[in-house]
Amino acid sequence: MIKITTENYVAEARKAIKNQVLQKALEDLQQRFGPPTALSYQKLLEGPELRLIAQDIRMQAIENLDIILEKLAENIHQNGGHVFFAKDGQEAIEYALQIARKHNVKRIVKGKSMVTEEIGLNTALIDAGIDVTETDLGEYIIQLAGEHPSHIIAPAVHKTRNEIGKLFSEKLDIPFITDPPKLTQEARKALRKKFLAADMGTSGCNLACAETGHIAVVSNEGNIRMAATMPRVHLAFIGMERVVARLEDHDALVRLLCRGAAAQKMSTYVSYIGGPRSAGQVDGPQEFHLIILDNGRSRILADEEFREMLCCIRCAACLNVCPVYRKIGGHSYGSTYSGPVGAVVTPLLVGINQAKDLCLGETLCGACQDACPVNIDIPRMLLALRFKLAEGDSVWNVTPADRKEKAIYSVWSWMIRHRSVYDFFLRLAAFGQNILPQKEGMIRRLPPPMSGWTQSRDMKAIAKQSFMKRWKKL
Amino acid sequence: MYKSGQREFINRVKNALGHSADNMERKRKFFDLPMSEKDRTTLKGIENRTPEEKEKLLETLIEAAKPINLNVIVLPDVSSVTTAIVDLVREKEPEWGDKKSVAAWKHPLIASLNLTAALSEQDVSVYFTEFEDGQMEDDLPIETREKLRQHIIDSYIGITSADFCMADTATLVMRTRPGQARSVSLVPLIHVAVIEIDQIIADLKELFTLIKWDAEHQKEGLTNCMTFISGPSKTADIEATMVHGAHGPREVYLFVIS
Ligand code: SF4
Repeated sequence: MIKITTENYVAEARKAIKNQVLQKALEDLQQRFGPPTALSYQKLLEGPELRLIAQDIRMQAIENLDIILEKLAENIHQNGGHVFFAKDGQEAIEYALQIARKHNVKRIVKGKSMVTEEIGLNTALIDAGIDVTETDLGEYIIQLAGEHPSHIIAPAVHKTRNEIGKLFSEKLDIPFITDPPKLTQEARKALRKKFLAADMGTSGCNLACAETGHIAVVSNEGNIRMAATMPRVHLAFIGMERVVARLEDHDALVRLLCRGAAAQKMSTYVSYIGGPRSAGQVDGPQEFHLIILDNGRSRILADEEFREMLCCIRCAACLNVCPVYRKIGGHSYGSTYSGPVGAVVTPLLVGINQAKDLCLGETLCGACQDACPVNIDIPRMLLALRFKLAEGDSVWNVTPADRKEKAIYSVWSWMIRHRSVYDFFLRLAAFGQNILPQKEGMIRRLPPPMSGWTQSRDMKAIAKQSFMKRWKKL
Repeated sequence: MYKSGQREFINRVKNALGHSADNMERKRKFFDLPMSEKDRTTLKGIENRTPEEKEKLLETLIEAAKPINLNVIVLPDVSSVTTAIVDLVREKEPEWGDKKSVAAWKHPLIASLNLTAALSEQDVSVYFTEFEDGQMEDDLPIETREKLRQHIIDSYIGITSADFCMADTATLVMRTRPGQARSVSLVPLIHVAVIEIDQIIADLKELFTLIKWDAEHQKEGLTNCMTFISGPSKTADIEATMVHGAHGPREVYLFVIS
């Protein structure tokens, strides 16, 4: 399994905020994608309303996922492909290893896939003695550096050209260069060798189509086409929710996906893959396998409050507008999925208590929903998660995160409903605050148990005269 | 072989959704629906497109091609395309090594270019990606397949046609068939595509409607690999600098015969 470090959220976020290079990169990234994506929705033939149509298509698919997945599998079988349904990451990995063994696979080229990150496929394959190469340029850089991606679409956004130049000169044994076109050419050269020598290619899937039995894979670089074309075997991984019923559903969704992901009208390559090569075809894989993964998704599906999250097509548009992501970057989230989408998905997948800081850290500003190509109400779900954290929840096994806070709020809520008690405490506090450190009418530090409130903000001091009193005088 | 895990999996999904076992009703709602009035109108629109409308689409295509650095060249006939390709081959240098060779689809339009003869002057070989004698079976000697693969890898220009080109996004649409290898548009440094103006359609909606409802296209469906190509391969993974030719072709030329 992949190592989840959501508990380091606060510490990692602190580090990220101090990292000047990262701050600049994140700001540039949001500038580059955020406004152009919004503009690209405006320019759609149907206008931004198309997002609502797309949301409806996705929701219908999710609510009928049983028959849609059956149809998908049936059609892929008919096209000569294999389908494996994996309950969890372990089963998916075991299946992948079995296929690799059957074909005596020594070298694998990987197209970017968040699901395989989620289940930690790489480690398992490497442990089995297989040479695994990430082929998306950003992912390749991250792999050479021994790190994890920090953005869904731009995994190496936190790396500078100097760092990459140094990395390449060490790992690829070339002179130190920093020019992006030259660096890209070096990667092209190194990876081409890998593509041509690989026995197996793996990929994710952006969105499948049940009625035809195809998976659509999208890329700008062409690496996914390479991985799905040149090796003998193609193994594709898909989260069970990434499917729609009909071909025409792809019209709205492909257009929105390309816009949401990179403000493009169409990504350079979109391939619909339905099976292995057929008789007489010169190239393409001999065998095609699709691994459909649950890994906690059916639990999300069962809860109507969170079902909507399964409409997500992992385009990263919400990361590109999120004010929190902009400051803390992807690594702080401590798991595969970062940003607003991660703040909801990660707690639901790994445990709400364990990943509690993720949903507490977001601002509820709503920018994510406006940017989302399928209009997912992330703020609503963040609130729902916070409610569970405050009150506890037996279905999701949540223990109240902070009993002290809950106690304080219970007292507070009782107090404000009792006017005379409230007035008394107000007077007491107005008097007591004089001994607290203050600056320009703001209190710098509250005493325990309220000290957390002023840890990273000042609090306005209580006025000498309450509004009620002044009102009476008027 | 491994058991597929399907039944258990689907039951878990069914339970999560609270659906009963009977799902014929829901299936009917989604699949095997008859053609709608809207689909009919779309098909009619494509079928009855006037020459002026086709010119319009071509203009849209040319505009859409600019921001993605796709070179669109409109030429009056096949022989001028041949000349243009011969010039391109003369002008462009190979990426790996210095021997120039070209890989091309077996396709009627490409065949009519007579490239083998036209390029023999420059001593450039043209490899067509087909099995000899139209061999269809998969029990071909492994060397036959290997040899073809090597030819494509060694070629620095790949020449294909396409099934369609979507004007809205300047996107070539290719389906896979014997003789029309996928890697020709992918592995060589330069991709050249040749189409006729009639192959231009408006957008994704027209494409999907054609594939789903047009009698001829319906038969073939998507095939086992349908690829959209919009311009040359690109990446911006290093400090957001746009670079062409990440893994796929660095340059794409689209010749439209009009
Ligand atoms: S939540 Fe919406 S914007 Fe965010 S990754 Fe998913 S689909 Fe994209």
